[in-house]
Amino acid sequence: MSNVLTRDVLIKWAPLIVLLILVLSFTVMEPRFFSLRNFARIGISSTPALMVAIGVTFIIIMGSIDLSMEGTVSVCAVAFAFAFIWLGGTLASWAWLALPLALLVGAAIGLVNGLVHVILKIPSFMASLAMGFVGTGFALLLTGGDRIRVEDDLFRALLTERWFGFPIMCYVALLFLLIAWFIQSRTTLGRNFYAVGGGEELAHASGLNVNRVRIMGFALAGVFYAVGALLAVGRIGIAETATGSNFMFVSITSVVVGGTALWGGIGGVWNTLIGVLIVNVINNGMVVIGLPGYVQDGVLGVLVIAAVVLSTDRKSVTFVK
Amino acid sequence: MSFERIKPHLPWITLLFLVLVVGAADSNFLRPANLISMTADIVPLFIMALGMTFAIYIGGIDLSAQSIANMTTVVATIALPTFGIGAALICILSGVVLGSISGYVTTRLYVPSFISTLAVGGIAFSVAQYLSGQRALFMDATMRETSFGWMTGSVAGLPSELIIAAVLVLGAWFLQSRTTFGRALKAVGAGEPAAVASGLNVNRIKIMAFALSGGLAAIAGLLFSVKLSGGSPTLANGFLLPAIVAVLVGGTPLTGGVGGVVNTLIGTLIVAVIRSSMLYFEVDATQQQMVFGLILIGAIALTIDRTKLKVVK
Repeated sequence: MSNVLTRDVLIKWAPLIVLLILVLSFTVMEPRFFSLRNFARIGISSTPALMVAIGVTFIIIMGSIDLSMEGTVSVCAVAFAFAFIWLGGTLASWAWLALPLALLVGAAIGLVNGLVHVILKIPSFMASLAMGFVGTGFALLLTGGDRIRVEDDLFRALLTERWFGFPIMCYVALLFLLIAWFIQSRTTLGRNFYAVGGGEELAHASGLNVNRVRIMGFALAGVFYAVGALLAVGRIGIAETATGSNFMFVSITSVVVGGTALWGGIGGVWNTLIGVLIVNVINNGMVVIGLPGYVQDGVLGVLVIAAVVLSTDRKSVTFVK
Repeated sequence: MSFERIKPHLPWITLLFLVLVVGAADSNFLRPANLISMTADIVPLFIMALGMTFAIYIGGIDLSAQSIANMTTVVATIALPTFGIGAALICILSGVVLGSISGYVTTRLYVPSFISTLAVGGIAFSVAQYLSGQRALFMDATMRETSFGWMTGSVAGLPSELIIAAVLVLGAWFLQSRTTFGRALKAVGAGEPAAVASGLNVNRIKIMAFALSGGLAAIAGLLFSVKLSGGSPTLANGFLLPAIVAVLVGGTPLTGGVGGVVNTLIGTLIVAVIRSSMLYFEVDATQQQMVFGLILIGAIALTIDRTKLKVVK
C-alpha cells in the first residue's frame, strides 16, 4: 500500500479529490448547490476563465509566467467588438470575420510579449506584467473609456441557446480544451513546452531552439486569451477596458491549484480544468451558502499559497526570489 | 567611455534632461511653486516606491503594495474616530504584518515573491472590502484636522508632505547605508548563495525587507487617505505601475544588489516630471498607463544584470 500512495500519486490526484470534497460539502450545506441550474451557472462563470487559464498553462509548463492576460483580453475584446460592428454587426454578415481577427490580435500581442521577454532577456513575469499594463492602456485608448455593446442575437446565442441545460459557450470551451489537449500531447510544440520546463539547459543541449519555443508559447497563449475574451463578451454582451480585469489572479490561481507546478514541466490542461472548477465551485458555493462575495480574493490568496507549497518539492529548490 | 560606466549616472542625467526639455517647452514648469506642488503631489507614490525598493533590492518584488495601501486607506478612516492619531500606528502595523507574511511565505515556504505578494494582496483586498462594506468612506473633517492636520499643512512655506518624505528617505538611507542590516541587504541582493555561505540569516533579512515594503506601502496609503479625507478598497488603484517604474527608472535593477533609496528618489522625480509633461503636451491621462508600461520595459531592459540570470524564465 505504501508504494501506491507515494507523494507523486497523491499530488497527481489531490486536485480532483479536493474538487469532489468541495462539491460534496457545499451540497451538504445547501442542497440547492447540486442542481443542473447551478452547475450551468458555474459553467458560465468558468468558461472565459478556463480559456485564459489554459493559455497560461502552456507558459507555466515552460517554467515561465504570463501576467499580461488582463490587458490582452481587454484589447482582444475591444478589437473584436469594433470590427464586428464595423463589418455589419451580426454573425450572418461578413462580421464573422471579426472572430478570427480577434484570435489574430491575441496571437500578435502574445508574440510581442514573447519577443520582449526573449530578445530583451527580461524575466517573463515582469515583461508580461508591463505588457499587460500597456494592453490595458491601449484598450482604454481605443475605447476612450466607453462600453461597446455587442447585441447580435446570433452571437449572444453563445449564452442564450442551451443544449442539455448548458449554454453553447460551455461546448465551445470544451472544443478548445480538446484542441489544447491535442496541442499539448500530440504536437512537437506541446512536447517542447515540457522539454523546456523540465530542464532548459538539457533541452538546449539536445538541439532545441528554446527561444523559438518560448515565443511560440506566448503567441499560443495569446490565442487562448482571445478565445477567453470572445466568450467574456458573449457572456455579458459588452466589450470594454474592464473586460479583462480579475483574469490574472483567477487564472494563475486556477492553474496552480490544478496541480501544474510553477517550476514547470509538470501538469497540463486537464489539471487546469480541475483548477478552474475548484476556484469557481468555491466562488459559487460561497455565494450559495450565503457568504459575502468579498471573501473570494482572500480565499484565493490562501489557496494559491497552499497549492504552490504543496506542489513544491523542497529538496530540489535551493533559493527563491 | 563605455555604456557600463555611464549607466550609474543615467538616472539623474535623464531627470536633468527631462526637466530642461519640459522647462524649455513650458516656462511655467520651472517656477518654484509649480515644482514644489508637483513634488508634494507625488509623495504618497514616492513612499510606496521607497518600500518597493527594499523588495527589489534583494531581488524580489512586491505586487501587494497597492492593495496594502488600499487597505490602509480604509483602516485609517475607520480607526480615526476611536483611536485618533493611534490610527497611524494601526495602519503601519497592519502593513508590516502583511509584508512579513509575504516574506515568510517567500522564504520559508519557497513561493516566488511575485506569487506570494499577489496572494497577500488578494487577502488585503478582501480585508479592505470587508472593513469598508464595499463603500467609499469619509473622514470627519475636525477629527482629521486634530489628529492628522500636521500631515497636510505646511512648515516654513514647504508642504509637510515633503518634510515627511524627507524624514522617511533619510531614515531609509541611513538603514541602507549605515547599518549592518543595510549591508546584509546588499549582500543578499548581490548574491544570495554567497550571503548564505557567509553565515547571514538570509531568510530573516528578506522577511524584514518585505516587512519594510509593507510598512511603507501602509504609510503611503495613510498619507493618501488623509490627503483625500477618506478611504475605499480601490482608492490607491493605479499606484502599483508607477511605483515599480520609479524604482527601476531610478536604477535599481530587477536583479537587485545595486541602486537603493536615493535612486528611487530620482526615479520618482522622473515619473513626476513625465506625468506633468504629459499634462502639458496634452497627452490624454488615459494613456499614462500605456506610456509607463513601455517605459517600464525599457527601464528593465537597460538596468537588468543578465550575468545573474543563467536562464531567463
